[in-house]
Amino acid sequence: MTKIWGKRVFSSSLLDSRFLFLAATVVGVLLTLSIFAFMVMLGLPLFSVHSLTLLLTQAWAPDQGLYGVFPFICGTCAIVSLSLLIAFPLSLGNAILIHLLAPRRLARFLHQVVKMMTGVPTVIYGFVGIFFLVPLVREWFSRGSGMCILSAALLLALLISPTMILVFLESFSAIPATHLRALEALGGTRRQKLLHVILPGARTGIITGLLLALGRALGDTMIALMVAGNATAQPESLLDSVRTLTAHIALVMAADFDSIEFKTIFACGIILYLWTAVLTLSLRCLHFNYAKSSHDQSL
Amino acid sequence: MKKIIEIENLSFYYGKQQILDNISVGFGSSSIAAITGSSGSGKSTFLMIINRLWEELNGARMSGRVSLFLDHEKLDIYGRAISLSWLRRKVGMVFQIPNPLPMSIYRNLALPLQMAGMKKKDGIGQKVEMVLRQAFLWPEVKDRLRDDARTLSGGQQQRLCIARAMILQPEILLLDEPTSSLDEKAARKIESLLLVLKEQCTLLMVSHDQAQVKRVADEVLEMDGGRMSVLN
Repeated sequence: MTKIWGKRVFSSSLLDSRFLFLAATVVGVLLTLSIFAFMVMLGLPLFSVHSLTLLLTQAWAPDQGLYGVFPFICGTCAIVSLSLLIAFPLSLGNAILIHLLAPRRLARFLHQVVKMMTGVPTVIYGFVGIFFLVPLVREWFSRGSGMCILSAALLLALLISPTMILVFLESFSAIPATHLRALEALGGTRRQKLLHVILPGARTGIITGLLLALGRALGDTMIALMVAGNATAQPESLLDSVRTLTAHIALVMAADFDSIEFKTIFACGIILYLWTAVLTLSLRCLHFNYAKSSHDQSL
Repeated sequence: MKKIIEIENLSFYYGKQQILDNISVGFGSSSIAAITGSSGSGKSTFLMIINRLWEELNGARMSGRVSLFLDHEKLDIYGRAISLSWLRRKVGMVFQIPNPLPMSIYRNLALPLQMAGMKKKDGIGQKVEMVLRQAFLWPEVKDRLRDDARTLSGGQQQRLCIARAMILQPEILLLDEPTSSLDEKAARKIESLLLVLKEQCTLLMVSHDQAQVKRVADEVLEMDGGRMSVLN
């Protein structure tokens, strides 16, 4: 809105662009919600026979009439958490090395390698897992087939790390040079630059990278399918085979179309959807509260 | 007058371009020396040579000798292994554009002390208050020390940056056009501050403002074509 001769005038192009942005936002939100509604609707036949509580807590034994996806939730949770636990410090360390510590040539080379890694198809990681990692884990621990939570989490960590590293690097580069120069002029060492300027300034980017990696880890199907072993039993150790929610969807869809068993894929979809939404919102809230409190307590 | 900065045969290159050409000059203690000259003549580079801040620039190199009289000892700052952190605490710098860090006013001043190894119990709070008073900022910010430093006006931000440099009690303070982005009133406040500070350390200031140079400088030098000449 501008003022011309004292009158408020709306520029038509501004109005147009506002309308376009609003429309795009509404369509985006509606599409996301409709996906959720679609999954609930298609899963209704299952939910009318089995309550959601039973589905979430029971074991998977279709021959006994049990369609619980609890073991798959546990499998997904174990693989995703472990992969993030491995990948986060690894990625942050790598990003710090490339951005701050490594000689220029080495940093450029490592950056290129990381970029290249993001483009490698997941199935290739799966091959590496099956032919290299799985035998290694089997030999190290002398237990099971080697297709287990640990193998899948290690491989998934490798898969999600490049994405995290690139997002972290981007957020490090966005730190204003004037802030870095100010700290240098005050005699700040590299470590102090990192602690007092780079990491606090890149906090939002770090959270974003973590969320992107989490989404990628939760949504990955191929690695879980190829390396986790796909056992439907409840896992008890990191060396147990598990089936993840995404792997369950892929496996059931490949073999079935219209049974109660098939309908469980919608329950899995709903769980993944809500899981991602709740985690994303929680992390955002946590970040917001942290930023607020750290500002309040900066004295 | 005792020379606190002594520069001999200083040449500086950025890539293939020569920025400074065989400069030999000295600056006395407890004085304000102003360096004037056209844009791009190498004035800021000259300042960055004194605290070795140019070393972060890619493709830059220098030759010559730079000796500083710090802690009662004459040091060739390029000739022997000295700690860059120590040097930069002894040789403070204030930039053309105020650059407070994205944190509270208090933390902007406390951080340099903490980075130098000082603990809260060593009286950081008192030191912060002291430099804020010295920079004529205390009455303006005493009730808002928790506020983000970036909420201060441009002039206040620059005084905060000078206070931040002074809190480390440097023996030399380098000022790169410290008032060029400020209005007349804010600039005058900075000038008054500089006149107070010269009793504590040697000030080397780059300025384009001839009137300002006349008001505050004890010695004026001009940089032209990479060479430096003394005007008075």
